[in-house]
Amino acid sequence: MANISCNDIVKSYGAHPVIEGLDLDIPDHEFVVFLGPSGCGKSTMLRMIAGLEEVTGGRIAIGGTDVTDLPPGERGVAMVFQSYALYPHMSVADNITFGLRRQGASRSEIAPRLKQVAELLGLEKFLDRKPKNLSGGQQQRVAMARAMIKTPQVFLFDEPLSNLDAKLREKLRTEIRKIHMQLKTTTIFVTHDQLEAMTIADRIVLMRDGRIEQMGTPDEIYERPATRFVADFIGTPAMNFVSADIAAGDRLIAHGEGMTLELSRSAFPDLAPGQRVELGLRPARMELCTPDTSNAITGRVVLVENMGAEGQVITEVAGREVSFVTQSFRDLSPGDPVSFTISPDHIHVFDSSTGHSLRRN
Amino acid sequence: MGKLISAILTRAVLGGLIVVALGPILWTVLGAFKELRDIVTPVPKVFFEPTLDNFATILRNPTIRDGLLNSVIVVSAAVLVGAVLGIPAAHTLARHARKWGDDVQFFVLSLRFMPPVAIAIPFIVIYLDLGIYDTLFGLVLVYLIVTVSTVIWLAVPAFERVPRNIEEAAAMEGCGPAEIFWRFSLPVAAPSLFGALVFTFVLVWNELLLALTLAAQNATLPVVAASITSLGKEVPWGVINAATVLLVLPPLVFIGLLMGLLNTMVRSGPK
Repeated sequence: MANISCNDIVKSYGAHPVIEGLDLDIPDHEFVVFLGPSGCGKSTMLRMIAGLEEVTGGRIAIGGTDVTDLPPGERGVAMVFQSYALYPHMSVADNITFGLRRQGASRSEIAPRLKQVAELLGLEKFLDRKPKNLSGGQQQRVAMARAMIKTPQVFLFDEPLSNLDAKLREKLRTEIRKIHMQLKTTTIFVTHDQLEAMTIADRIVLMRDGRIEQMGTPDEIYERPATRFVADFIGTPAMNFVSADIAAGDRLIAHGEGMTLELSRSAFPDLAPGQRVELGLRPARMELCTPDTSNAITGRVVLVENMGAEGQVITEVAGREVSFVTQSFRDLSPGDPVSFTISPDHIHVFDSSTGHSLRRN
Repeated sequence: MGKLISAILTRAVLGGLIVVALGPILWTVLGAFKELRDIVTPVPKVFFEPTLDNFATILRNPTIRDGLLNSVIVVSAAVLVGAVLGIPAAHTLARHARKWGDDVQFFVLSLRFMPPVAIAIPFIVIYLDLGIYDTLFGLVLVYLIVTVSTVIWLAVPAFERVPRNIEEAAAMEGCGPAEIFWRFSLPVAAPSLFGALVFTFVLVWNELLLALTLAAQNATLPVVAASITSLGKEVPWGVINAATVLLVLPPLVFIGLLMGLLNTMVRSGPK
């Protein structure tokens, strides 16, 4: 087990830079998720830590050892690929034990460890099969067993669940999390699925265009997004964004696009009258209300999306769409007038030009 | 009813195709076991007393025996060396030199565009000077152009179909490049590579022109077979048929293997 530290990492393909000067420290035992849209450099970053890609500049250390120039096999890391990458010409047992056999471990040493990981991942029945005779979920379990049996210092997962169907994905996600709680091996998990990241991570590293946009616990990322990009990327249904101007007066009020909303003075002490900002309103933080409630937004229902326990209501407010989530969505139908409200504590404010959050505490 | 008719028609057409394709081969095989009088009779005989005399004649004939031996030596050497040189080259092209890969592959293929006559005559002069004219070694050397280029041409796509992640997973377990090639890329690509080798084998096994011009004395089987057909009026049909069977047998067996292999590959689907 080990901490990972990446120092001023640069990666370019020819003249085209993909990652420019990235710093990252991952403490021992932590489960970190690299999250971001495709092409943000998260997989490249993972592959550089694995040693499958060379860094153009910067140093990578694992457990205090500089591994920047070491081949993948000498870094003490194990990787699980999106495509499983099982050896098709070997049985499941041979796939799992290949690394140990290669290191010259004895049969008596390998057998109990194989038994242990096979039990942990429920693979006892499949050990004699060839990978092509397994389902996708079983294949991914074999890939995880292969990574686990060597008890590496670091686990790397490169979108391991993307090829599986939704139900299986959820199941394996829970299993991976449970296994981490048991083994406590430092883990980096790459995904583009924000829900997967939220549910599995100790900490999320949200990347965009080769830079770290924000790094923090799932709660920090969700409740205190550092930029409009983060706020937009995290959360389903996606956040509503409204352009607004700060009004003069005792109370901190923002006017914009048919809404008048009071903001939290303690959270945004720097806002000045006349300042142009962008408000972020999470659909899940809003609720139905009467039109005279404070911070009420009034509009007309366009569409109601039934999600089972709750529903997303898409409304038209002053010519634009705003959505919110409520459990009493069954009382609403398209065309109805509707009012909903959001507490000042839950309104996010971003600089309208830089997109940075203006929250101060 | 319409279905039945179309099924019958399909079968009839397929049956016709099989007769057209296999008829000559079958007739040759039958001829190989007939005595001359059974062959030259005006009424073709399907039932006759089979004889092994023709094969005995061939195998007792030193020219044909040597031809067979020469063919086996030259072709196996050329294919073996071609594989040893061409397969690692193809892997390197597929994995590490992709940007030049297409150009190199086209260059390699372009070696096959040239009519053999064009290289045969210069090779006679060169070989005479080097003192390797009319030697098996010289013939192997010129066949290497064919085998190396064909093996590379067919093996590059075979290695490209090996998922890169498998090689990366092996690298994660500590394997070096040579070990990855030997223990992963090669076994995973093996079925396609085997097909490439069979194809190459058939290509040089049937080669006549270069063998005729560069090694007239140390002739290979196609050269010998060609010379039997120009014997004049007293054509030993039975012997010719037997020689043909001998010549055709290895490629046929290989193609049979190849078909079986293709079938299993198609059935298991692309990975």
